[in-house]
Amino acid sequence: MKKQEQQHIFESIIEQHKGILFKVARTYCPDEEDRQDLIQEMMIQIWQSVHKYNDQYKISTWLYRISLNVAISFYRKNSTRTKKFTDLNEQMIEIPAEEKSENETQLNLLEQLISELKEIDKALMILYLEDKSHIEIAEILGMSVSNVGTKVGRIKEKLKTRFSQLKS
Amino acid sequence: MDELEIKKLWQSTNDKLEKSFVIDKKNTEEITHMKVFSLLSSMKPIKFFALLVGILWVGIGGIALSSIYLNSFNEANKFFLFSASIQVGLTAISLYIYLYQLITIYQIDITEPIIRTQEKLSSLKISTLLVTRLLFLQLPVWTTFWWNETMLTDWGILQWIMTLFFTLSFTVIAIWLFFNIKYENRNKKWFQLIFSGKEWTPLMKSMELLEQVEEYKDQNAST
Repeated sequence: MKKQEQQHIFESIIEQHKGILFKVARTYCPDEEDRQDLIQEMMIQIWQSVHKYNDQYKISTWLYRISLNVAISFYRKNSTRTKKFTDLNEQMIEIPAEEKSENETQLNLLEQLISELKEIDKALMILYLEDKSHIEIAEILGMSVSNVGTKVGRIKEKLKTRFSQLKS
Repeated sequence: MDELEIKKLWQSTNDKLEKSFVIDKKNTEEITHMKVFSLLSSMKPIKFFALLVGILWVGIGGIALSSIYLNSFNEANKFFLFSASIQVGLTAISLYIYLYQLITIYQIDITEPIIRTQEKLSSLKISTLLVTRLLFLQLPVWTTFWWNETMLTDWGILQWIMTLFFTLSFTVIAIWLFFNIKYENRNKKWFQLIFSGKEWTPLMKSMELLEQVEEYKDQNAST
């Protein structure tokens, strides 16, 4: 693949699927400044992997794998992460301020529940909330479809318990 | 609130925020012009410096010791010679393992499924424990460097007791740590005491992550 072609593919992937990066970063990174760094790291990894894209998987599957792997690894190596970004414009990404919604209580509760989850459970939760099929979740996480079913069942249970507590 | 409502809440909130989430096209282009990060450029200067010092230490030490073995073995202080050989040998093994891990971690494919990639990354990170174990194993030779043959004739019982006490203690501690510093002991207090501090945070986080990976894998095995 020529570099120009790679550039074109990369730019259109980012433009069309930036939402995936945003959602993953928002889930794993409560701090806004860190979130910018995380999104940049994801973009760099996507650029460096464009030539490896295998079209047997959906582009969203491939992107979820990269963005989740980067997000999970991000804090493990947090002490070295800032070094990479010194050459890039700090303001390259504009992250919107979060508005208070009508469903603020429920939203806060959902976000609190997600923040309490462990790293891989968070990944599963995002994919579940994004309404991904069990097959796609299995491909992204690398587990059996039946195991996805069991894990998703547990997540549903957690959500149900937490929201019923709110109701009572 | 039922399942559908929760999903709707998540999606509508993110959709709203996503619409105003902007990635500057100019900067997307800039990424495509960035040089591919090499292993060396991703390393912290202090790590790079430590690695360089290690290589110099092993290189210069190796040359000096080889010269003693080849040219003046009979006249050399054997306590010093054997202690130094063990120390340089263990440092060389540690350096080799450390370099191998750095390169392997760097080569892991981030586009593979999450559980597989995270398992590889965490396991490799945790295997840096082997380097620590080898470094601890050097402890006793630091107490025998300065021994010499005059000790056998000139020393009194008290000096012998003190010297042997230190050497034996260091040997016992080093061997014990060598066999006990392992992933399985990660929750023990002494382990967490040794590996407390910022520089060990990535290692401890890798252990937590590997626990999660194992939970997912156990599930795979039982289903």
